[in-house]
Amino acid sequence: MLRVENLYKSFNNVKAVEGVSFEVSRGKVFGLLGPNGAGKSTTISVISTLLEPDSGDVFLEGKSILSNPGIIRKNLGVVPQDIALYPTLSGYENLSFWGSVYGLRGAELKKRIAEVSDVIGLNGRLKDRVDKYSGGMKRRINIGAALLHKPEILIMDEPTVGIDPQSRNHILDTALELNRQGMTIIYTSHYMEEVEYLCNEICIMDEGKIIASGNKQELIDLVKEKTQINIKLNTMNDSVLSALKEIKGVYEARLNEDMIVLFVSGSTALTAEIIAKITENGWLIESIDVKKPNLEAVFLHLTGKALRD
Amino acid sequence: MLSIIKLRVLRLRDDVMVFVLMTAMALGFTAIFGASFDSYKPSVVIVDEDKSFYSEYFIDELEKNKSFNFTESDKISASKEVEEGRVLGALIVHKGFHEGIEAGNEISLGVMKVKDDVLILSLQETVSGIVLKMSGGIKVAGLTADFIHFATDEANIEEIRESAYNNFMESWKFRNPISVTSTVAATGAASGYNGLKHSMIGFTLFFSMYTMVFAIGTILSDKQYKTWERMLISPVSKTSILGGSMIVAYLTGAVQMGLLILCGKYLLKIDWGSSMAGVLLVSAAFVFAVTSLGLMMSGFIKTQGQLGSMAPIILTSTSMLGGCMWPLEIVNNRILLFLAELTPQKWAMQGIESIASNGMGFEAAVLPSGILLLMGMIYFTVGVKALNK
Repeated sequence: MLRVENLYKSFNNVKAVEGVSFEVSRGKVFGLLGPNGAGKSTTISVISTLLEPDSGDVFLEGKSILSNPGIIRKNLGVVPQDIALYPTLSGYENLSFWGSVYGLRGAELKKRIAEVSDVIGLNGRLKDRVDKYSGGMKRRINIGAALLHKPEILIMDEPTVGIDPQSRNHILDTALELNRQGMTIIYTSHYMEEVEYLCNEICIMDEGKIIASGNKQELIDLVKEKTQINIKLNTMNDSVLSALKEIKGVYEARLNEDMIVLFVSGSTALTAEIIAKITENGWLIESIDVKKPNLEAVFLHLTGKALRD
Repeated sequence: MLSIIKLRVLRLRDDVMVFVLMTAMALGFTAIFGASFDSYKPSVVIVDEDKSFYSEYFIDELEKNKSFNFTESDKISASKEVEEGRVLGALIVHKGFHEGIEAGNEISLGVMKVKDDVLILSLQETVSGIVLKMSGGIKVAGLTADFIHFATDEANIEEIRESAYNNFMESWKFRNPISVTSTVAATGAASGYNGLKHSMIGFTLFFSMYTMVFAIGTILSDKQYKTWERMLISPVSKTSILGGSMIVAYLTGAVQMGLLILCGKYLLKIDWGSSMAGVLLVSAAFVFAVTSLGLMMSGFIKTQGQLGSMAPIILTSTSMLGGCMWPLEIVNNRILLFLAELTPQKWAMQGIESIASNGMGFEAAVLPSGILLLMGMIYFTVGVKALNK
């Protein structure tokens, strides 16, 4: 549906995006995951026709949006990272304005405002001024303004930054519900859990480049040997560490505060072997926690740094 | 564009206070400053080289004039005062004034001045009027004395002539109510300085500029609220966004200007002259120029806070230069006068004052309006380019 081809964009000789290419299939939730400054928002700005790339192109259904931005603008809803609303106008006035710029008028506009306010859960508060809303409510109406014209593609650029968990869950569920109704969603975030929860297709970006892409399992398979096991024993010393390191499949063992951290090739059998070894030496297990690899681990594996660094 | 116009109208709610405050300030300042400027009289030094009966009489007549402050001095001091710009000019009554006026010859009076302006022209008119009046009086007195001397041989001809002259000049007093009325209508309004009117025009222009600049400056709040970018990625074109914003800012400014003109007319009893169409044409062109100036400022300034700090500096300084605060006739510095030419306020003042104060017609509005439109187009083009960056 949407193809991004070899995008390059620099600002004052700082390369924001370098050779980014990916494809978004219709009806999917596509995730752009990466730390702040990875180039996600620049990529989104190019797709939404706000920025022109230095080179490269974006195609919607095979047609270049650079040569004809109008083809995507009508079909695109963008939820910007910042709240892009008029704080001194009411929620209703804001929705009414954003609907009207997409050509909605009269009864149709009113109907859409009512439907969207149901989706975002702000039905009873539309008469209030936006600057009287809580952070979560502002985020939700920010999303609502992008939904009025029933876009085919919805871009959500870090829509949950700085809000409470309840509003965050509401936003994630809203995104899933919209996707279930057929909307294609491009979701950017530096929260690994959100992308894992929502996205069928994921691109991981860092320093302006795509460093990995695929579905969640494909990405995790990149680091399948990195199952992490945290064990707390009654005895914690170097001899314990040495003994555990001897087990085949354990390729790293370290003492981290009051916890032994093991990195192992991810098999359940190995966990049993570790427990057996501990018991055999007469040590007592106080707690054990097996952490399967996630996107955070993938990012760490690929870049050597944490997502929130 | 309709949706942008509706938005801007809705958002005017935020600027209602600016609108009301600036309208009230314009009226308030006009009432206060107009009254004080009304008492403004340019000073003129008189150098009497003739020291004769008629030269003294001439000076007495001049001093009765309420439009200027006349003081006597010597030639050197007068020259210095003119050079330093402390007086409008110096009037030199050359030797031979007495003989000249008595013989009915052409009178030579010198005027030391830095430049020609409306006030100097007004001074010259006043002087010629008095000389003509005196000349007429002397002729009538001479004829009367000759007649009486011829009829009654014993009479002292010099006494008769002086008495006749005094009676003639005295008689002007009684004719003044009739002749002064006609003078005010015919020449006084054509060249006179009216402080209240000048203040009304100046403050109307000055305070309405704030409303216009802040109305178009709403683009900066769009940028601040990030709604500008959101609009840019919507199907609405940038032309519609700017066009809609300009229309509402223009109408806001036009409504305020209109209100101030009406309040001036009905509250402060200001006569806007014979061509209201001319006044409105200049006002319309001025609103366009200032709205475009605001657009240009919005192209270079990043936030509304910055606009709030920059606008008073730019608008006040250009209004001072352009003659909104005081008549440009009292400015002698050539650089300041050149800079004044570059301000929209100068042209708007010139256009409106020519009609309202100097009794001119619609034709006086054409050149200033043309220049204001040209300025507006330049500001608009630069502003659009800056906003497109």
